[in-house]
Amino acid sequence: MKDNGLPLEGIRVADFCWVWAGPFACMMLAMLGAEVIKVEGHRRTDITRHGVIWPQADPQPTAVPPNQGMSFNSVNMNKKSITLDLGKPEGAALAKKLATKCDIVVDNMRPGAMLRAGLGYEALRKLRPDIIVIASSSRGQTGPQRDYAGYATIHHAIGGAAYACGYPDDAPSTTSGDTDIMNATTAAFIVLAALYHRMQTGEGQFIDYSQCEGVTSLIGEMALGYQMTGRVQERMANKHPFYAPHHVYQCWGVDRWLALEVHSDGEFAALAKAIGKPELAGDRRFATMKARKRNEAALDRIIETWTRERDRDWMVNELNQAGVAVAPSRDWADLYADPHLRAREAFIRVQHPEIGPIDLVGVPWKMSD
Amino acid sequence: MAGMALQGIKILEYSEMVAGPYCGKLFADLGADVIKIEPPEGDPARASGPFPQDKPHPEKSALFLYNNTSKRGVTLDLRATPGKELFSRLVQWADVLVDNHPVGFLAGMAFDDAALLKLNPRLIYTCITPYGRTGPRAGVKGDELTVSHAGGLGNLLPSRSRDISRAPVKPGGFAVAYHSAIAAAMVTMAALIGRGKKGKGRVIDVSMQEVVVGSIRPNVTGSRHQRSYWGRVPDRPPAMGRMQTSDGYLVLGAAEDHHFAALREVIGNPPWLADDRWLNMWWRTNHAPEIAPMLDTWMVKQQKEDIHQKLSKRGVPLGPVNSIKEVLENEQYAFRDYFKDVEHPQTGTLRYPGWPYMMTASPPRVTRPAPLLGQHNEEVARKELGYSEEDYRRLLKSGAFGKAKR
Repeated sequence: MKDNGLPLEGIRVADFCWVWAGPFACMMLAMLGAEVIKVEGHRRTDITRHGVIWPQADPQPTAVPPNQGMSFNSVNMNKKSITLDLGKPEGAALAKKLATKCDIVVDNMRPGAMLRAGLGYEALRKLRPDIIVIASSSRGQTGPQRDYAGYATIHHAIGGAAYACGYPDDAPSTTSGDTDIMNATTAAFIVLAALYHRMQTGEGQFIDYSQCEGVTSLIGEMALGYQMTGRVQERMANKHPFYAPHHVYQCWGVDRWLALEVHSDGEFAALAKAIGKPELAGDRRFATMKARKRNEAALDRIIETWTRERDRDWMVNELNQAGVAVAPSRDWADLYADPHLRAREAFIRVQHPEIGPIDLVGVPWKMSD
Repeated sequence: MAGMALQGIKILEYSEMVAGPYCGKLFADLGADVIKIEPPEGDPARASGPFPQDKPHPEKSALFLYNNTSKRGVTLDLRATPGKELFSRLVQWADVLVDNHPVGFLAGMAFDDAALLKLNPRLIYTCITPYGRTGPRAGVKGDELTVSHAGGLGNLLPSRSRDISRAPVKPGGFAVAYHSAIAAAMVTMAALIGRGKKGKGRVIDVSMQEVVVGSIRPNVTGSRHQRSYWGRVPDRPPAMGRMQTSDGYLVLGAAEDHHFAALREVIGNPPWLADDRWLNMWWRTNHAPEIAPMLDTWMVKQQKEDIHQKLSKRGVPLGPVNSIKEVLENEQYAFRDYFKDVEHPQTGTLRYPGWPYMMTASPPRVTRPAPLLGQHNEEVARKELGYSEEDYRRLLKSGAFGKAKR
């Protein structure tokens, strides 16, 4: 990156965040070259330091020393850290001084917490008129539910996405903490847009970010679709409204699964040939997309009869080479073992002073010089 | 009206379906000038739906209408020389090119990275592809279903599955494509800010698989280094997760001790929670299965929205599993004026999701509805690229915009 340098060099960010949704927004900025200073309460540090949010199996200790929480290490790379006692006037004054030396201030506390610490937008703006402050909260800074608390899975549910995830004959499913990571990335985007605006006009601003709304903005077609048809989009598991086959098939072995999606007749012919049944492409039950969708259950049985007797990774290679979109349903070990992710250096080896070498997930892009 | 944040930025969007178009929309709704290029037959999202009364119509697809607000649209036949000429001029016009075609697609039309950067050395060329542009799987086909499983998220779902013999599932809708669009927009925005200094363009290669892996990064690293929990079978979280009520589902997150203390009070201090060890997070983490049946029995007698209000007011994190209908009717969303009425010449006015960000100085807004197919062919050719009326007629005749075009 000698040529252009990192794009955000020279930008300073104060990170008053905890858990994932705030810290990861600041980490994205840090990975792009900004100087990020993470501020933690001296008594109440980021809870992800003390353990993994995802519980561990007995008899593994559930709490770990404060620098070793893996979710903490995953979303706080490239930052500096300072602890302050925000309850003491000296601590609060230091925090304020630090904030006003920054271009951007990010927090994901409950609405009002920054204000009580004397770090509200109006207070900071008096000292630094062009400051950009973004407050990312569960439901936003205004409205009857502004004080309600939430986590990633709760926002996923309130925002309308969980309702559409899972099996049609079973309960809805929230996803994992990925809603926090998504909201963090959106927050980083909008804060950079505000920075661009400041570069053009000299004007800073306050951004009120709602993590529930962040979810709803990603199901726009469901919102319009409901108004157009009067129907709510129900859960479809791995199915698609008109593509078939579009399914996750059981493979040889225990809990091994192959995801497969066909979007054209050409791809279906390639699949049929690869599984040794080229005649399926001409079979009138399966020859067109409409016919395949109509006879999807029969088609799935044919394909699964083939996949159940075969090794997942062998099938992935064969079918990818045939031009069919397939992928294994990977668990964490599969991800670390994936030669493609290794070739792209998707994991970053970090020497942690207490833990030793750890392989953290990097950023999902490559950028030329 | 306040100024918009990205006024003056020119985005050329040669993209289809969701990942590229939503990236373009993020810029467009903030005031960037986004020109969307479609093939003469249109973005496949126009055929995706849902449609009013379930009648397919290329100007009425919900997926297309939502993802293409605030843009102008042109059709181009990139296979023919006149279309290539127009495309070259548009590349010179743009600050950013957003492309989510398969790896090598534009290069196959004679527009590889070197050619694009030669046309416009300041260009930021953002590519969004299933597996990225390098590595052994670069050319492999992938879309929402395969990439969500390839990146590990699908393998964790459905959460708290009751039947391990059932296949893991993808998240709903186009979650992966939308998330990839955001990542691409964020890094493109950073590149635009950084370009000011030296003025040199860049190529940005966003891998959708890596977006998915990155979205569950704590799970992935936690499982490798601290043997934390991975899987879709019933879990034992300090928070109880998804639970059933008398009228639907909710997600309870009474994770911290003061949350659980408040929950215990609202339940009415039952004997099975009398032991104060239940107020210790680490104890709960390892012993939750012992009280799960009692909690479930209590919860299934509650009403979803009623208990949401009651527990939220006590500081307990939780939320109902809302259908999109319930989100459209939600009091909090209404108070914040989140949904925006957008009028479109073919569908009339519909309520579109807005943005999760309220900005005091440069708020986002929909500046125009999604473009009709080829709506801005003449305007863009003449106003932005400086073609005379005569030259525009020549281009039209040559099939640059496609055969059947106005």
